[in-house]
Parts: sequence; C-alpha cells; structure tokens
Amino acid sequence: MTASVQKYSLEQIESLELAPAADHRNLEGWVPEISNEDDLRNALEKAFDYRGDVTLTLKSGARIEAYVFNRQTAATLAESLVQYFVPDAPEKRSVSYAEIARIEFTGKDRAAGKQWEDWVRKYNERKAAGEKGIALTPEALD
Amino acid sequence: MAIPISQMWTVATYVLKKRLSGTKRYPLVLMLEPLFRCNLACAGCGKVQYPPHILKKVLTPEQCFAAVEECGAPMVSLPGGEPLLHPQIVEIVNGLVARKKYVYLCTNALLLKRRLPEFTPSKYLTFSVHLDGQREHHDFSVCKEGGYDIAVEGIKEAVKLGFRVTTNATFFDGADPGSVRGFFDEVMDMGVEGIVLSPGYSYEKAPDQNHFMGRARARRLFRTILSNRKRSWKFNMSPLFLEFLMGDRHYECTPWGSPAYNIFGWQRPCYLLQDGYTSTFAELLETTKWEEYGAASGNPKCANCMVSCGYEPSAVMDGFGSLKGLFAMARGTFRTYPDKRAQEILENPETAEHGHQARALEETKV
Repeated sequence: MTASVQKYSLEQIESLELAPAADHRNLEGWVPEISNEDDLRNALEKAFDYRGDVTLTLKSGARIEAYVFNRQTAATLAESLVQYFVPDAPEKRSVSYAEIARIEFTGKDRAAGKQWEDWVRKYNERKAAGEKGIALTPEALD
Repeated sequence: MAIPISQMWTVATYVLKKRLSGTKRYPLVLMLEPLFRCNLACAGCGKVQYPPHILKKVLTPEQCFAAVEECGAPMVSLPGGEPLLHPQIVEIVNGLVARKKYVYLCTNALLLKRRLPEFTPSKYLTFSVHLDGQREHHDFSVCKEGGYDIAVEGIKEAVKLGFRVTTNATFFDGADPGSVRGFFDEVMDMGVEGIVLSPGYSYEKAPDQNHFMGRARARRLFRTILSNRKRSWKFNMSPLFLEFLMGDRHYECTPWGSPAYNIFGWQRPCYLLQDGYTSTFAELLETTKWEEYGAASGNPKCANCMVSCGYEPSAVMDGFGSLKGLFAMARGTFRTYPDKRAQEILENPETAEHGHQARALEETKV
C-alpha cells in the first residue's frame, strides 16, 4: 500500500455505517497509452485487477491473449513480471514487464454490471409477467 | 458451542504447540478453493467473475493434498465456486479425511442430495450449507426462487444419513434481525450441528458495492440478533468471535489464520483480498507485508471487514491461548446475553435500521 492511498483512523473505521465502495471503471476495450515506465506499470496493475482477458503485444511482435492473475514488481522492468493463463494451455506462464510493448483490454469484463438493483428490477418485471421459479443463471462456459 | 470435543482438543493442542514453539504466525484453517465455477449467479458475488477458461480450471487432488501438507492447518474449508461441481471432489474429501483434517465442504446444496451417497460420514467431514436466512430471504439473496427448499432437502438428507451438517449465513445491510432469529430456530429444528454466520465483505470485484455494512452498523445488527439468545441455538464458531461481532470485544485481523490456496497459488494477504499470489506457503508468510492489512492499518480495503476468516482465528487463538481465554469461551458458550435495548428493537422493528434487502423484499410483495 502506498502513502498516496487514503488511510482511515481506527476511530473512523469503527464508526463507519457503510463500507467505502471501490471505484469500478469499466476498462473493457481500453488501450492505455504507454509512453514511459510509469505508464506501463500502471497499465499492468490495471490488467492484474481486471476480471477479463487482456491482449499483450510483446516487443518481439508476438501477441498473447491471456488472463493476468498476478504481478511481481521490482526495481527494474526486467525484474518485474506478470503471470497469466492462456485459454488453451493448463500451465501458468509469465513474461517480464520489459518485454511488453502494448496492452489491450480485449476480453469481456466479467465483474461489470450484475448489480443488486438490476436483480430487483428483473425480478419485479418477471414476477409481474407471471413467471415462476425466477432465477439468475451462470453464464455458459462454452 | 456445537463443535465436538475431539475437534476442539485437536485445535487447542495445535495452538498450544505453536505457542510453546514460539511460532509467531500459523494457520488454523486452510481455505482451499478447488475451483471458481458455481451453479448460482448471486448478484454482488465477488468470487466467481472470471473468463470461462479460468472457470473451467480445477485443482487436482494431488495439488490439494500438497497444499494441505504444506500449510499444516488442522482444519480445511472447501469453498469456491461450488465444490460439488468438481469432478474429483469425493477423492479430494476422502484424501483430506485420511489425513485427519477436519474438512468443511461449503456448498449451496443444490447438488447435495444427489451426491450424498458418494460420501462417507465421518467426524472429520462437515457439510457447511450456504443458507442466508429464511426461505424468502435466502432465495432473494442467492437470486434463485426455490433454492432454499432444495438446500433444506439436502440438509435433512445429510442429517438423516449421519453426516455432520452446519449452515453458513452471510448477512448484508438491512438484514431483518427478527427473521434471522426465526431462521436460527428453523435450522436447529432441521437437526444441524450448529450455525456459522458472518457479515458480508465488500469484495473489490463485487459488482454490488452499495450494500455492505460498515463496522458500526454491523455491530448493531449482530447485537440485536445475538443478544437474548435462545439456549436451543448452537453456533459452530468461537463464542469470542460472536462477542466481537456484538461489539463486546476488540480483535485485530489474523489474515494468516485462514490462508487461501487456489488455481493461482497462495493468495496474498487473505481469503477475501487479492493483492497477488505466491508459489509457496512459506513465501506467503515471509514476504507479505502484514502490517499493511487489517483495520488497524487504516487500509480502506480492510475498513469494513469483520469477517470470520480474519477475525475468528484471532478469537480462537485468544480463547485457547490462556486460562483467561478458556474461561471466557466456556462462559460465552452458556451465556444468553440479555440486553433490553436489543429486545426493544426486536419488538419494535420500525426503530431499527431498514436497509436495502428488506426494502427490496417489500417492493416485491404483491
């Protein structure tokens, strides 16, 4: 946690009525401009937080569509790396920050939407239409 | 407290050995997530939002056993996702039972009745069934009408076959204390061993960010629910953790007490927060900046958390860590916690908080 992150005092935390909500910006389709080391580090931090696949273009020209599940940052880009799963291979893979030229948030953001209010609205609409056994179902995997 | 003596003895001697050996940080429960896939789509869930190729991945039994050996905790919780969707869950459970680990298989029970014949009753195996309240509340919470009835059918069958069964409830802003107490009566009548409960946590990735209680509101809710306790209610939890929820005790978070392992590795720092992964449990313990987490750190991600995976280990270590703690646990087990103000709120619910879930349920009445 960096010093720039807002901190609460214990007194403030103990008196909270509602939890502070996280800022949810939908990054689907975003292609960050990367002109320096900080831009790259920030974009990869966002990729780590993103609940969808991203496409990494390496300096070699190779493109990797993957789910980035971890990052290990160090003093230099060469020492920093992201870990990812690609859709068609079982093993964890990694690539150094120094090899990455471009990041595209190409996959669907699986955390976007699905708000409680959406469920209440859908439920009321379906109930008003006389539907029984109302339920939300998980998205198909294929 | 509903926990069997043999399990309490195992945990007590484990804690004592760790303390005598001078071990500063040690796990009590391994949160072993064998998969993220689920057969429910609860609005606001922060656990299962992944692309399909991630949801299809599972831990193998060998990976599960290696994690359990590496961690060494005496208890293993199998959450998810829905563990009963794992094709080798029986092999995983049997392997853990053979290792004499106390296993809590956390399930929404949609598949429980059908799969029960594949399992063998054991003092080491408990089905921890997700039930968030009475029928109407549970169905609305898990976004599935009829979900409660299916789960209850599974519970009753499991109890009949001689399995250990607990219920596991998460409560959000606006939970109705009177209904929750009625729910406790219902589940005890089903013959379950005990009740597990926890306030909801605002997962950073949860789509539904507006309905998580802060600590002040959570304490009021749990004081109303857990005061004036009926003797018929049994809790499969430390009584000191329940006192913490009611605001009678202060604890700091023990995130390493319930470490999480899944297809990505060892999750840093805890079961709820995802700040990265390590390859080994030792690396998790040694390289995580623990001082940056927990309420005392001021970290906003920990601000509302009073969840059992972080705070129950604190209560258990306190309870088994001294004679004073042991006495407090024994006393808490038999107390009914009389409280006039809590009783008034129960009798006049209009004076209590009335949050989003209760309002939403009222809006659906025709």
